[in-house]
Amino acid sequence: MSVLETPHILFRGKVAWDPITTNNYSTMYDEATASWAQIPAETAQGFRDEAIAAVENGNWNPGGTHRSSFFDTQISGVDTGGGVATVDPFVGAPVGFQGMLVDCEPYGAFSSQLFFDTLSLGIAGGCRIYAPRTTRFTARYINFRRNGANRMIAGVASVIWQTCFAKTDGLEIDAFDSPALQALATAIEDPDVLGLTVRWNSYFTVYYDDPTLGDASDPVKQKQRQAASAAELQAKLRGGGFQPNPARSDVVGVVGLWRTGEPIHEPGDRALLSSEGATAFGTAFARIDGDTLTLDLGNSVSEIDQALTKQDLGPIDVVALDSDGKDLATLGSLTYADYDQAAYESASGLVTLKLDPAAAKIAADADLCLRQGNGTVLATEAALRAVPLTPNLYLDQGDTTTAVAQVYSRGVPVGAGVPVTIAASASSVTVTSVSETDANGQVSFDVIGSQGQVNGFVFVPGADAVVPVGGIDPQVTTYMYARTLPDNGLDQAPATWANVYNQVLINWYAMAPCMDNWLRLDDPAQVHAYGPMLKTLTDPANFEMFRYMPVVRDMTADSRRLLYRFLDGPAPGAMKVAAMATLSAEPEHEPTNAELSRAMRGN
Amino acid sequence: MIRLQARPLETLEDAYDLLQTAIGVEFGTLPPYLYALFSIPPGKNPAAGARIRSVMLQEMVHMCLACNILNALGGSPKLTPPTYPGPLPGDIGPHGTPLDIHLLPLSRDAMKQAMNIEEPEKVPDFPILQASLAAGPQAMTIGQFYTMLDAYLATLPPAAWHVDRNQITDSQFFAGQIFAVNSYADANLAITQIISEGEGAPDNPLDFQNDIAHFYRFGEVFYDRVLTKAPGTETGYTWGPEPLGVDWDAVYAAISDPAEHDFSHDPPEAQAAQAACDAAYAEMVDELQRAISGEPGRMGNAAQAMFDLRMAMLVAFRSPLADPTKVSGPTFLYKPTTEGAVL
Repeated sequence: MSVLETPHILFRGKVAWDPITTNNYSTMYDEATASWAQIPAETAQGFRDEAIAAVENGNWNPGGTHRSSFFDTQISGVDTGGGVATVDPFVGAPVGFQGMLVDCEPYGAFSSQLFFDTLSLGIAGGCRIYAPRTTRFTARYINFRRNGANRMIAGVASVIWQTCFAKTDGLEIDAFDSPALQALATAIEDPDVLGLTVRWNSYFTVYYDDPTLGDASDPVKQKQRQAASAAELQAKLRGGGFQPNPARSDVVGVVGLWRTGEPIHEPGDRALLSSEGATAFGTAFARIDGDTLTLDLGNSVSEIDQALTKQDLGPIDVVALDSDGKDLATLGSLTYADYDQAAYESASGLVTLKLDPAAAKIAADADLCLRQGNGTVLATEAALRAVPLTPNLYLDQGDTTTAVAQVYSRGVPVGAGVPVTIAASASSVTVTSVSETDANGQVSFDVIGSQGQVNGFVFVPGADAVVPVGGIDPQVTTYMYARTLPDNGLDQAPATWANVYNQVLINWYAMAPCMDNWLRLDDPAQVHAYGPMLKTLTDPANFEMFRYMPVVRDMTADSRRLLYRFLDGPAPGAMKVAAMATLSAEPEHEPTNAELSRAMRGN
Repeated sequence: MIRLQARPLETLEDAYDLLQTAIGVEFGTLPPYLYALFSIPPGKNPAAGARIRSVMLQEMVHMCLACNILNALGGSPKLTPPTYPGPLPGDIGPHGTPLDIHLLPLSRDAMKQAMNIEEPEKVPDFPILQASLAAGPQAMTIGQFYTMLDAYLATLPPAAWHVDRNQITDSQFFAGQIFAVNSYADANLAITQIISEGEGAPDNPLDFQNDIAHFYRFGEVFYDRVLTKAPGTETGYTWGPEPLGVDWDAVYAAISDPAEHDFSHDPPEAQAAQAACDAAYAEMVDELQRAISGEPGRMGNAAQAMFDLRMAMLVAFRSPLADPTKVSGPTFLYKPTTEGAVL
């Protein structure tokens, strides 16, 4: 099962990120009230000016659009079971994707999503996979130790993106003369196959289109360069016009089968969790099919420079351990050539080993471990994983939603009776409860939208579970976020333009100058004239759509109702924000994951 | 069919002239493509619209790349908006008669015209052309035109290239498509991209990124067929059988060549819409001119003006004329009414 099975398709390229970053800061945006951090008498233009001023403190893209697009991205190889091949006619086909990058928790970096309509690998009339969206892409397993030589904002990090495309949602495979696509088209006919999984890793993120800004070898010069780039952007923004400042990342990815029971939003095979320690090595995933072990190291091996040279960890043994951590068998060993930059870019981080049948049998029920030749443990399997079905959940105040997590044992859904500890967590654990899986291996619990807030939930399956005191550790814990949009009491407000603008639209008018490109949210005539379109774009039924508004998905239900009352009515006739906090100095203690997440955003 | 006049290319000034012509051609394709694109009502003809839009965006990229080359050589690119109907800059036609470019709503005629603009020469004959230049002006495709330019640029010494002079990059727009030209290698890459995206390979409709070249994208709309791979056949491709899904009736009833229309008798709403289009177009041209003249940050202002033009066009194409069954898109007449006009 999964993308680790063959046949699979590999791709490689780049992605441009263009989010508006102003709502990442608690000084500029209140995620509880879902509104800009407004001071009375503040004007929207004043807020925009403050957002531009905040560029020098890390607000790197106040003029963004949230659009995030692949570019220079092509099919890089195929694997039908005999290793990576590049002679297939599908290789070289362009990969087209455009999504809207939105964080469920605006202040943090653990809950990114890409809302989109279609993914197209190849072009119409040629070898192609045409994949209309089933659900959004979700980011998980952010790895803050991926590239220490690229120290700017999230430049050090990499992250896994994943979603699945159901056969029943219009998925098409136009194979033509591509043996790989023919194999994929045949495999997908299996009733156990629900569709395709697409997983990709983004890494080496560059800001201001200048990789040297991440070079911290001379911190003083680095700060000077960063300040100069910020000043240049500020000058552009103050010169008017539409001034996005997209960041870019490298991308490697894989497309494979999505089988019944497999998670949609994050990897679901056997999880080999990153070890705490001096060696930077991110969580890996593994699958054994017969005598073949496939490892997904797409998010694991760090780079040591901006040329993206992979860290040389020497030979890495794949070992099967018993429950006491003692060796049962050595399944094989990776050499540096198996995980170096060339290998990574060729196979998107997937590494395949042939196993001795006896060893494979042992490994089926043992914990897998990746270990350096010197004995350093890089990653060890956690047999039980509880994966939420809705990793980023939205609800309105007053609503109660049942959230569900599927529990797996070595990548296979468990049965009834497995305990799962569910911990409410943001920066620290506050409440825990324990549930047991049902016959489908699922646990469910109610998320109660009592007030506007963003909550994290950590899932720890198994008896005697230990919840990490630091809350979410994206390399180790599975988790979900729930964002409750508040009721701001607008149902009683008259549907006047003053109320609609000052209580509703000003949030995005101030925060998202790019809106000016097609609709002036401060113009009552324009807003009313575009009423039918606005109602379509803000309809909760269209929440998953690329063009859903507001892009950041933070319009409260009472705000929507107030807006609609205005739009349904007759056509109309014709400060200062809290100063952006200076980025605090790096904490002297080892930052927690929550601190890392928010530090990227200046919080 | 567009055919540009080949001229002896022996000096840097000759190269300036050639590049200026190229910039004029790239820019001059935008209004007819925009007119056809925005004659499509929102939500209609999505496949046709996507193809026209994709070509239009690449023409903007090509224009920027041509400007980058000219700037890198020390020249000063200048945008000179053509009038429509009229020939594209430098066009002498295949038989001595330039092709008049019209502003047409989406139609087979509009697509045929676009195919004529983008039509490739099936057999590149650059070496023959170069040998015959001394005998007098020759006609050549846009691709051949660029190929000749490339051959000359290859002869220039490294000192001819001015590093980081007035360059437009992809730092804000067109990720991965626009890049600085600082050397012949960069210029060669830019020219390869322009030729490839416009014409494809001599025996293949795909460009260097394995996407469909411009001529064939317009062909898909014209024939209402998806250009489809046909492995094992002589040509390798067929038009269809899958239809593209063009609905020729799902188009605004727009007049052609609005610059020849007298708007003075039309309703005020239509006149206001035209005025808004004119203002946005003029601002866009002015801001683009500044962007390619050493103020790259003005590209963002040009983009804003393009969005304004888009909104103005949406209104214009829905504003009835005196003949209430007709509407009009913009004239694309450059009227330098904006402050800071540089043309």
